[in-house]
Amino acid sequence: MIHNKETIPQRPAPKGTIGPVAWLRGNLFNGPINSIFTLLGLYVLYLLVVPTIQWAFIDADWVGDSREDCSRVGACWVFVNARFSQFMYGLYPSEEYWRANIVFAMFAGIIAWMVIPRLPFKRWMTLFALLIFPVIAYVLLHGGYFDLPRVSTHRWGGLMLTLLLASVGMIGALPIGIVLALGRRSNMPIVKTFCVIFIEFWRGVPLITILFMASVMLPLFLPSELNVDRLIRALIGLTLFQSAYMAEVIRGGLQAIPKGQDEAAAALGMTYWKRMGLIVMPQALKMMIPGIVNTFISLFKDTTLVMIIGLFDLLGIVQAALSDSRWLGFSVEGYVFAAFVFWIFCFSMSRYSQYLERKLNTGHKR
Amino acid sequence: MTQAATNTSDTSTSDLMVEMHNVNKWYGDFHVLRDIYLEVKRGERIVVCGPSGSGKSTLIRCINHLEEHQKGEIVVGGLPLTQDVKRIEQIRRSVGMVFQHFNLFPHLSVLENCCIAPMWVQKKPRKEAEALAMEYLERVRIAEQATKYPGQLSGGQQQRVAIARSLCMHPDVMLFDEPTSALDPEMIKEVLDVMVELAEEGMTMICVTHEMGFAKTVADRVIFMDQGQIIEENAPEPFFNNPQSERTQLFLSQILGH
Repeated sequence: MIHNKETIPQRPAPKGTIGPVAWLRGNLFNGPINSIFTLLGLYVLYLLVVPTIQWAFIDADWVGDSREDCSRVGACWVFVNARFSQFMYGLYPSEEYWRANIVFAMFAGIIAWMVIPRLPFKRWMTLFALLIFPVIAYVLLHGGYFDLPRVSTHRWGGLMLTLLLASVGMIGALPIGIVLALGRRSNMPIVKTFCVIFIEFWRGVPLITILFMASVMLPLFLPSELNVDRLIRALIGLTLFQSAYMAEVIRGGLQAIPKGQDEAAAALGMTYWKRMGLIVMPQALKMMIPGIVNTFISLFKDTTLVMIIGLFDLLGIVQAALSDSRWLGFSVEGYVFAAFVFWIFCFSMSRYSQYLERKLNTGHKR
Repeated sequence: MTQAATNTSDTSTSDLMVEMHNVNKWYGDFHVLRDIYLEVKRGERIVVCGPSGSGKSTLIRCINHLEEHQKGEIVVGGLPLTQDVKRIEQIRRSVGMVFQHFNLFPHLSVLENCCIAPMWVQKKPRKEAEALAMEYLERVRIAEQATKYPGQLSGGQQQRVAIARSLCMHPDVMLFDEPTSALDPEMIKEVLDVMVELAEEGMTMICVTHEMGFAKTVADRVIFMDQGQIIEENAPEPFFNNPQSERTQLFLSQILGH
């Protein structure tokens, strides 16, 4: 039996099932109880948002150079304004700010270049960012070469230090994490045992302890002529700590790749490293983007802990500024500013990772 | 490295492609392969059948060392298979394998799937590898899908790509591990057609399969395995018409009886 001889033309959906009004009715006012909750939610939102805006923008003081300029009831952004350069550069000498600015600009340029898909030469840019840029940044920031006066690392601080710690930590932790994850899955007992012990040790100790040990205990064991810079010690501690976490994220991703992928690559005669580098890792890394970015974000925020070994990152320098007797009583503004800067960076990373996931997922469905 | 001789169906007795002498394998305590003795001449087509769990997949996976055997000797193209990684990779380069679940690389396009091994293992320039890949994709009648990703193809198409991917390495022998078991019925034929053509061109083939029609048309020998042992081994005509052992008779009645 044939049901329909002719094709049925497409008919419009019934009235009231599409459009904004239908959406509101379906999602927010779907029955009396839900309507009450919606109204209640809107009221709570009103209670929270309006005073915040009032405090942060409408009643706030923006310009001036001392606390006397903060006469209004709202936030005193004058404090942040006056201390802004310190928040950015720490105790870096102000006549040398231009050097830090060049590094900042290059850093921003590299990030933009990598993130904007249209721009070419990504591979060369990566090489530049990994090999040449660190040297330039070191020479500029540290000085001592080409008639640039030396600025020792204990004067580095603020956002500059935060970004430095975070980017070195991320760039170091990813490859070490990959090697550790592969090692932990290896069949070779010595390699495997080493990786397991390494990961479990660094994962089981709080970061504060590691930083503290790196700064206080390590010099006791090392010969006194071998004086490793405190910043370097903090960087090593941070990187190794994060690489242990990264290793576990990556191991999780590797486990999700079917064994048949490695077998197919092996059957084609590929060596272990080619199998991993060309077949398994590219697939695993794609799946691990959320986990990796999550680790990066937590690393970014963990950099604030270097405060306890006397390095002044963004939060550290804000806190130091709060104890300045001329600016007592503006801790809320200081913390809000620090929180906002951290949030901007972390949120950008999160959005970029979502974009990457969408981009890499097209047409690759298994 | 053995030279890939011209593919002829000439089966001179000294020209052995795969030799398995008294091969034994255990998974823990479980004895999966028991005293396997098998010699495959160049150009010979072998079909391995048997109930599930009889060790047929394990048998062919030992040939390219995807599984390790514990006792006995395996020689592929005159080279004894040892623990040495270099030797294993050398043997794998001359042994193609097609899997039940295709195992195409989902992050690479069809063309890239076929190019990756010639480019990275045999160090061929990209142009040459792509030309080679297109030639084999043409042969398995899927060249028009070269830019697609495996996930966009049907099972039968994916399996044909997997065959082309193996052929791009110019293997001396092809192993098929239940190549049609994961396919919908209407797609089995397109894969079998490609395999029959390959057999007619003189490729040395060892196929684990339940496609008895395929066995009857192309196999030089059919091997029946049960509980890790080769129970019976014969040309297809006597194997199907006059099976010797009771277990073979039972197996054949079960798979042909419906």
